[in-house]
Amino acid sequence: MAQEELEIEIAPDGKVTVTTKGIKGPACMDYADLIARIVGREEHREKTSEYYEEAEQIERHVDIKQRR
Amino acid sequence: MSSCIIVTPLIIAGWPVISAAVTAAVGSLGYSIVVPQLGVSTAATVKTRNRAEIDIDDSEVLSETGSAGGQIVVERAGIRAVFTRDARGALKLCVEGDGLSKLELKKIGAELIGRVTQQYAYHKIVTELQQRNMSIVDEEVTADRTVKIRVRNL
Repeated sequence: MAQEELEIEIAPDGKVTVTTKGIKGPACMDYADLIARIVGREEHREKTSEYYEEAEQIERHVDIKQRR
Repeated sequence: MSSCIIVTPLIIAGWPVISAAVTAAVGSLGYSIVVPQLGVSTAATVKTRNRAEIDIDDSEVLSETGSAGGQIVVERAGIRAVFTRDARGALKLCVEGDGLSKLELKKIGAELIGRVTQQYAYHKIVTELQQRNMSIVDEEVTADRTVKIRVRNL
């Protein structure tokens, strides 16, 4: 199981980029909200490729089950 | 699931916290803190220099009881930068320098403000996450001065 982590980059102009890793379910967005609250004003939010990979795996799993 | 967010820091703090961020930031840019001397007016020495004033809109300097407030002055090779609290309570930076245009001074000021914001954001994030039982497992400063940290739940 992947470790739950936050990767935080603070640029020389102060802008903060936070990427959540291995955090399942709504908790992923909760962590993003937490950092936004701590730091300031949210400029942009997106789901990373990992988000879509995992979502795809779940869909395939469901598909296999339905065929049985 | 994973997500990525980009956040612009808002500097909302008392003068001691802002002073600490300025002190931590300016060293890496080659500035040194100038200790004000009694009876010496900083304004009188800069009459002939170009000057750029930058309001830091995303900021609020909280007035705290017992806090001296005032200003922080930093200098580097003919450049003098003064951080103060303006009438609205926001942080303000005034940069002065010999032989530099207003545009150049504004650029220097923007770099300074960026680094101060970076230091403020770093300390705020680390302090708040540690209070929530999260720990830093890795930390590095890249060549372009970006600070990278990896945080995990304890």
